[in-house]
Amino acid sequence: MYKYDDFDRTFVADRAQQFRDQVGRRLAGDLTEEQFKPLRLQNGLYLQLHAYMLRVAIPYGVLSSRQLRQLALIARKWDRGFGHFTTRQNIQFNWIKLDDAPDILDALASVDMHAIQTSGNCVRNVTADPYAGVANDEIEDPRIWAEVLRQWSTIHPEFTFLPRKFKIAITGAAEDRAAILFHDIGLKLVSGAKGAIGFRVFVGGGQGRTPYIAQELASFIPRNELLSYLEAIMRVYNMHGRRDNIYKARIKILVNALGIDEFRRQVESHWGELDKASINLPVAELSRITAQFSQGPLPKRENSDDAIKARRLRDRNFDRWFRTNVRPHRVTGYSTVNISFKKPGKIPGDATAEQMEVVAELAERFSFEEIRVTYQQNLALPSVAIADLMSVYDGLVVAQLETANTELITDIIACPGLDFCNLANARSIGIAQEIAQLFADPSIAEEIGPLRLNISGCINACGHHHVGNIGILGVDKKGTEHYQITLGGSPKDDAAIGEIVGPSFPAEQVPSAIRAIVATYLSQRISPSETFVVAYGRIGKDPFRSALYDAPKLSHTIDSALEVTHV
Amino acid sequence: MPSVITANLLRSGAVAYLAADGRWVSTLCDAVVADDAVSFNTLKAAAQAAVESSEITAVYAFDVHVVDHVPQPISVREAIRAATATAA
Repeated sequence: MYKYDDFDRTFVADRAQQFRDQVGRRLAGDLTEEQFKPLRLQNGLYLQLHAYMLRVAIPYGVLSSRQLRQLALIARKWDRGFGHFTTRQNIQFNWIKLDDAPDILDALASVDMHAIQTSGNCVRNVTADPYAGVANDEIEDPRIWAEVLRQWSTIHPEFTFLPRKFKIAITGAAEDRAAILFHDIGLKLVSGAKGAIGFRVFVGGGQGRTPYIAQELASFIPRNELLSYLEAIMRVYNMHGRRDNIYKARIKILVNALGIDEFRRQVESHWGELDKASINLPVAELSRITAQFSQGPLPKRENSDDAIKARRLRDRNFDRWFRTNVRPHRVTGYSTVNISFKKPGKIPGDATAEQMEVVAELAERFSFEEIRVTYQQNLALPSVAIADLMSVYDGLVVAQLETANTELITDIIACPGLDFCNLANARSIGIAQEIAQLFADPSIAEEIGPLRLNISGCINACGHHHVGNIGILGVDKKGTEHYQITLGGSPKDDAAIGEIVGPSFPAEQVPSAIRAIVATYLSQRISPSETFVVAYGRIGKDPFRSALYDAPKLSHTIDSALEVTHV
Repeated sequence: MPSVITANLLRSGAVAYLAADGRWVSTLCDAVVADDAVSFNTLKAAAQAAVESSEITAVYAFDVHVVDHVPQPISVREAIRAATATAA
């Protein structure tokens, strides 16, 4: 993984020192809140309902064991013993004191971390395929370019006061696991003519109040011209993006107002005028960054293991975990392990200090000291030898992290909601906990099959409800928490924005509504291989509407629906 | 509608309510209730002074019901703030 050089370290340490000074002046009364607020936000420090919240950047979701241990220390020393992994592959600490924030930034800087650009109208943390560099369907490791973009966009003077925040996602794989079509800019590494590698560029995607699927801006931009091309996009946005209305300020609004063809024309016009050579990355610098991600050949390990086969036969839980949470690796003899932070009944994405330390140790022993944060609020160990899987599993069991539900209905994305967030209209966490407990039997969740269920506590959509196969949005209806349900969304290559199925439900009715939706799917699917989102595409929302709003059918149970599918 | 003045303590960010003696307290039941415009303006002035002395930030008033002389939050948001996070 990328290692800071002296320039990086000095920069981050200086920023921490600057913030210490700013906090000191605020506490002394030399800065008003109005003056201080933009300074604290530039360092990821928000004021939420009960306390300050610190959002720490985890560039493209890559962490070392040392860094994860430091996050555990921060959780224990300055928070209440836990942190919350976010849909931006970051971590948030929810119970921070302003007094402590400078010490925390120093602690982060000591392990090459910071909270810069985790807030504000700037380019936010660049997110990436969580399996970058190890996926078996990858053209090229996108971490290299994510790091290039991190360096390019960090305190870039032109991009410090954009009309609104700006999110970039990147993948190098055939399958989109980074939701690139729901970002301001989505980048996909592709092969071009004569073996050249470049980027397919998408623009104008996003969720929030006005969800859009990104549109293709360019089918192939050579790698070495990426930065100048992106700079041209940013210039068009910076010039024409609306600053008069916060709800219309994202690039998606501009792209759709101009139309993709006119937007493209303007980008290409600017691109043609730029001094590209002064913007594009020098070959030597690209080589330097690339070398940092070069792991060299992994030690040779066996591709199969008799002990694992035997364990799978005698240990049903291990067998299920192996099926659901372990995925192929590009190197024979290795696999990637998904670590679920979605144990039914627990808060999605929350990790205790002890759990972080367990994962850090497992990564140290079995995954070359590297951890990934997924936007589904889980962690992954990218490179685990197949022969070590039992040891990893047994280590996870100790920390209650062996839940076998990757991409299943209990792998719920949920924002912090009204329990913590100043923007929320309704609680997300409690609803997520109730739904997960409804499907807590892992055999039922597995029988239901791949199903994304996402919950947001407000229309800002941090919980990605628009792209949930089942999406739940918390709304304020005359002072009470209600939940609007959408169906058919997808964050993947079959990108879709969910459709509102009907009137919202009060909180206490949401679990039974979800049960009715799932029962309807199970009774309607052609076979177990027809996933929820595929079945929805075939049958539409009418059967679900009927199940939800025709009272007698609410009595459907999952068990009876499963029986139907087994006939 | 009776109301209570709330804020976050500047140093800790903790929820605080203005009490009758001018202190900022952590429990809603100890907050002073403004019943009319005169008392509300008096409390607002006290809160503004606390903002200027860097004791509190993010100050605002919210409506309450008063039951047996004890203020009760009306909105879910204020109920959660008064109880601290309901998620565990």
